[in-house]
Amino acid sequence: MPKDAPRMHTSRTFLKIVPEISLRNRIAFYYTVATAFLIGLVFMLVYYVVDSTVYRHFDQELMAEVTEILEENDLKSNDFTGLASFRSIDEDDRQEEKDEHDVFRHNDVEPQFIQLVDAKGLVVKKSVNLFPDSLSFHARFRRTAYFNSNVNGQTVRQVQVPLENRHGLTEGYLLVAFPLENVIIVLSDLQMVFLFSFPGIILILFVLTRLIAGRSIRPIDEVIATAEKMTQANLDQRIPLPRNRDELYRLSATINALLDRLQDAFLREKQFTADASHELKTPLAAVKGTLDVLVRKPREREHYETKIHYCLQELNRMARLIDQLLMLARYESTGLRPRIEEIELSILIEAAIERLKPHAAEKEMTVRFNRMQSGNVAADPAMLEMIIENILSNAIKYSPSGSPIDIALEPGTNAFLCSISDHGIGIPEEKLHAIFERFYRVDESRSSSTGGFGLGLSIVKKLADLQQIRIAVQSARNEGTIFTLSIPVSFSCPYPKSIVKGVQTGCRVNGRQKIGLAGAAERHGNSENSA
Amino acid sequence: MRILIIEDEPGIAAFLKEGLEEEYFAVDTAYDGKSGLDLAMTNDYDLIILDWMIPGISGIEVCRQVRKAGECVPILFLTAKDTLDDVVFGLDAGANDYIKKPFEFEELLARIRVQLRYRSSESDSLTVDGLDINPVTHQVFCHSAEVVLTPKEFALLEYLVRNKDKVCTRSRIIEHVWDIHFDSDTSVIDVYINFLRKKLDAAGCRSIIQTIRGVGYVVREP
Repeated sequence: MPKDAPRMHTSRTFLKIVPEISLRNRIAFYYTVATAFLIGLVFMLVYYVVDSTVYRHFDQELMAEVTEILEENDLKSNDFTGLASFRSIDEDDRQEEKDEHDVFRHNDVEPQFIQLVDAKGLVVKKSVNLFPDSLSFHARFRRTAYFNSNVNGQTVRQVQVPLENRHGLTEGYLLVAFPLENVIIVLSDLQMVFLFSFPGIILILFVLTRLIAGRSIRPIDEVIATAEKMTQANLDQRIPLPRNRDELYRLSATINALLDRLQDAFLREKQFTADASHELKTPLAAVKGTLDVLVRKPREREHYETKIHYCLQELNRMARLIDQLLMLARYESTGLRPRIEEIELSILIEAAIERLKPHAAEKEMTVRFNRMQSGNVAADPAMLEMIIENILSNAIKYSPSGSPIDIALEPGTNAFLCSISDHGIGIPEEKLHAIFERFYRVDESRSSSTGGFGLGLSIVKKLADLQQIRIAVQSARNEGTIFTLSIPVSFSCPYPKSIVKGVQTGCRVNGRQKIGLAGAAERHGNSENSA
Repeated sequence: MRILIIEDEPGIAAFLKEGLEEEYFAVDTAYDGKSGLDLAMTNDYDLIILDWMIPGISGIEVCRQVRKAGECVPILFLTAKDTLDDVVFGLDAGANDYIKKPFEFEELLARIRVQLRYRSSESDSLTVDGLDINPVTHQVFCHSAEVVLTPKEFALLEYLVRNKDKVCTRSRIIEHVWDIHFDSDTSVIDVYINFLRKKLDAAGCRSIIQTIRGVGYVVREP
């Protein structure tokens, strides 16, 4: 616990720094920001297009008016003969066109303002409707220019056209203007519509997105709800799968599969704990009870001796079990790494046979081993020795007195096959898959007649897994069991020189026999555990 | 009082048998579920001590079968299974008590006494007309004077007093006071009854054990 404490602390501060915004709101927020940007862009574009179109049309009309005025006075802007030559700038002079252009009248709906200035900007002539004001003149515009200005307190669009004589000298300017009120109203209305509708649209968008996001992540809420309810007691609960086979379906299915594995592991661990506690408590209870009863009253010396002997025996058994449990715990923790070395297989096997000789002799059994096919393998010597010893000791334990045990080696291309076969009671087919489980014993009565705990083979499996050794088991009831280890060959020197000759044929023979072995395995029902 | 032990671990079965016999119980042992169940069904036990994980039929199943057969013999689970779920499961299967291994032998004895007490619906002290039996210390007092009995005599007297006012047939007495290895010669009961009567008469508790001719014996307040 104290080890985890700092990590918990950092994760809590981390949570504090990151604001707690729900995924739903975050999706809605990001979506709204992106859309707001786009809508803003579109609004601006529309406004720009309307604005420029309106002004372009206005400017075209202004220019048409300028052309008309010049034509009426028989003038050209680049062939100017004098300001005085302007005739019809006044209302009265243009009476004949009155029905078409009511331009110079004060109260016209759309009056035009016309003004003539000399090169210095002094007003030469201006239309009546301009009084008392006059159109503003900008000396900096040497060429035709359009701009907005104010006349009599109203905004107007104005064009300023230079009037040049035939030598190219500017003698004056013609200023024409149309009132802009309507355009400005239209444009500002548009602007208002855009400005006011924008936040509204964004708000509606956010609410809608939030709603949709909420709907689409509802399965996640279900996942959370299920996960929150999950405890050790109801590990069999699963997340309901959504109807659509989408990412959330996959997420739920993946979490369910994870829960399956967790539950499986949890149950196995629970079973292991129960088994371990049973195996430890039974001898403890026996020793304690025996001594309890023993000290209740004085007894004969022989009685004490028998009971103490029995207790010692039980304590030794317990010590052995504790050793094996610790070994198992050590191998299961990730820290352990095998020290792979190049070793001669036959030396290891002979050492194991030597050590188990007393047990074999007790049951008048012989272990037959032909070391001629031996070779070098890559494995951890201590671990491999333990594997072989364990399997061999099982073979002795579960075989009838006097029966032989055979150990055979077959060199292969990538792995050495080492098979240990006995003529014992065998393992029923339906139980083959479980023999590597901890505390599993084929014989259901957990009596200690054989002295085993059912831990040996699970240790073997762990050790084999650590060094890429594969174990295959074939068994037939009352005929015997064959454990076949396939141990990786050491590539630096696969075979000792003495048997190189045999290997060349051995490899081919092995290839065929491998197929034979697999076939036999299928017939007998086999359990193969790959590392 | 006769007890059946169903326990597959020979060491535990051995010390239980030894310790209980020293407490004047008649003890039978079975090492697997099937033979245990057979014994429980064919004999009339005063208590069954049952292990859970036994070969053949599990302890739980034995317990259920016994209860199904209508037997109300007290059943005491003695097992290494120690989780709350296990205890509840075991008691619900019909057991009267649940003891977790490893356990104190004294506690086991006390719990056995509790079960026997429930049966006789009396206190630990058994009394009949001046006769006072203490099943804890195995002492018998007659008008406050201790009467020294052998284990068998004590067991016989205890059984008769526990079944006060009930006629105990010879075969019932054999079943409850002697274990299964006893051959069914019931005349040995008469011998022990004689020993008992002599010792009790000498201490001043006369005619507590009465003979019902051709049937057996009964303990009655005179």
